[in-house]
Amino acid sequence: MQEPLDAIVMRDVVKSFRKRTIRGEYTTFKSELLRWLRGKRQPKEGGLITALRGITLNIPRGKTVAIIGRNGSGKSTLLKLITGIYAPTSGHMEINGRISALLDLGAGFHPDFSGRENILINGIILGMSRAEVRERMDDIIAFSELGEFIDEPVRTYSSGMYMRLAFAVATHVDPDILIVDEILAVGDEHFSKKSMAKMTEFKKRGKTIVLVTHDLSTVERWCDEAAWIDGGYIRRVGRPSEVVAEYKQAIALAEAQSVVFTPPALTEDGGALPQVNVPGAEAPVRLSGLKLVSPSGEVAPKLTPESSVEACVDFSAQGLCEDLVFEVSLQTLEGRALYETSTRVESVSLPKELPASGRVRFVLQRLGLLAGTYVCEVTARTKGGVSRETCTFVVSSSVAERGVFRPVHHWVVETVPVSVAPVLAGVGHP
Amino acid sequence: MIRLVRELYQYRGLLLSLVQRELKARYRGSFLGFLWTFLNPTLNMLVYSLLFTVMMRANTPHYSYFMFVGLLPWIWFSTSLGAGASAISERRDLMTKVRFPAQVLPTTVVLTNLSNYLLSLPLMLGLGLFHGQYPTWHVIAFPVVVLIQLIFTLAMTYILAAINVTFRDLQHIVGNLLTMWFFITPVLYQASTILDERVRTVVLVANPMSSLMLSYQAIFYEHRFPDPWPLAALAAFSLALLWGASILFESRREEFAESI
Repeated sequence: MQEPLDAIVMRDVVKSFRKRTIRGEYTTFKSELLRWLRGKRQPKEGGLITALRGITLNIPRGKTVAIIGRNGSGKSTLLKLITGIYAPTSGHMEINGRISALLDLGAGFHPDFSGRENILINGIILGMSRAEVRERMDDIIAFSELGEFIDEPVRTYSSGMYMRLAFAVATHVDPDILIVDEILAVGDEHFSKKSMAKMTEFKKRGKTIVLVTHDLSTVERWCDEAAWIDGGYIRRVGRPSEVVAEYKQAIALAEAQSVVFTPPALTEDGGALPQVNVPGAEAPVRLSGLKLVSPSGEVAPKLTPESSVEACVDFSAQGLCEDLVFEVSLQTLEGRALYETSTRVESVSLPKELPASGRVRFVLQRLGLLAGTYVCEVTARTKGGVSRETCTFVVSSSVAERGVFRPVHHWVVETVPVSVAPVLAGVGHP
Repeated sequence: MIRLVRELYQYRGLLLSLVQRELKARYRGSFLGFLWTFLNPTLNMLVYSLLFTVMMRANTPHYSYFMFVGLLPWIWFSTSLGAGASAISERRDLMTKVRFPAQVLPTTVVLTNLSNYLLSLPLMLGLGLFHGQYPTWHVIAFPVVVLIQLIFTLAMTYILAAINVTFRDLQHIVGNLLTMWFFITPVLYQASTILDERVRTVVLVANPMSSLMLSYQAIFYEHRFPDPWPLAALAAFSLALLWGASILFESRREEFAESI
């Protein structure tokens, strides 16, 4: 089961806390005495709070994985488990590689010390050796853009300067696995761009990044995978765009049903959000075998921007599916939608009674996409569930155009007599 | 215990930096700065000298030097325990955000105070010269005594720090107990001045700090080698205590991050 390629492997990891530690009630003489007077020798049974009820998650090496979920769903607890700050109550965990965790910026900063001195201590706390910190000192100072302030005590810093310094140190640690808890938005526009660039550099160097964030657009834009943690379990792992979409739907649904947003860990069922739809098995309409074929029926044809192509997918249906909608989405490999349409937006009428099995064909007279690798995704959506099929395809072109798509166009160059007002016809790009 | 020590060795860089920082931070911002390392024990000594030579007329020759010999290592011991008790429980910022072995924190406290002690030794030697007490070659036993005290202090600090995470009263109790401990330890007086035979035996045998103090006094004040057997017994006891402390520490370390 365990592939050595995974940076982090978690199997049925459970984490519970004793209640008193969460409520901040320490064992005191008074509380002990009162408990003794009331005749309760031991704290009440059920004084446990289970934050994670059974996490099974593989984080592949070299991937950037986002962990999303509502407040209190256990994201930070999960990160602390991965980091090793907490030990799991039960379950199996395996970490392959040196971990650096950016759970908090500026751990161990001392206000009376200068920025330079704090870089040293903070860097060592984050896992660098003294020599490594000294070596990277100039880079860190340059990155923080603090200039002469670097030799001033940290207590004189503005909060922005403080965060910049802390972030600069944190990103100069060189781990195999980087754990980040919601700290990408540091400083002004310029600095947060720089931070993003630094993180992207990590990514390019093949580092594994685990990121907890509420910034869903970052997740969609920037992560390879997303894991949605809900009610103490991993609810869904998959392509960021899909996971985020379902997460958003679940939140919207919960708001619509006016679910009370209690702290998840304190709720009996773990405070899971309502089920939006169960992908796959229970969906009344199920898709299978999505493929791109040429009009002549050739499977996996060589595609050019001018190709005619059909996306064919087989479906099987059970019972009445009056609210069935087929959706088609063409996306980049990163999950950015290039074109999306559905039978509903185009008012395509589907048969009231679906055949038990059938085929949907999405016919493109002309593909129009420029050279590159793309993803085609077909979704069958009903109230009862969603079924989704994806396939990737490659488009090649001998023309070195740039952009995403090729509109139907042609060029005209003609001679126009001077006395007549200029008439230019059919110029694609002037 | 091996794991405890090995991790300390692995994190020696962190330990070193933390100790350096604590030493620097202690008097940062104060006008006299590092001089306080010398001024604090000196002022302490003046108070006690006044009390015992002028008010109570102790018959110990070179009393202020005699007292200094025991007072300095006692300050190392008592400040280590006093600050070490809350070493883990007060660093929530580190414990819950960064992974590192928790024993680094109490060890930092003990080592910082050890450095302070060693740094204030010239003051003691200076005072000795003033009293005409020149150090003799017996000082070669000094590192051994310091090592034994280090092990004993570390063990005590680990135990206190581990318990204090869940039982916060300890840090308040420790201060008072230390005051009591101070007076049943022959720092301000010579052990031979305890007249009651039984009390003297109790003070010397049941109090681990006594044999340490007597050893320091033997080396620097009486210019002879310390009695080997009490020291050897204490060394064995300290190692056993450190072993027990590391077991306690190991069994609790998982809770530290969650409990503070």
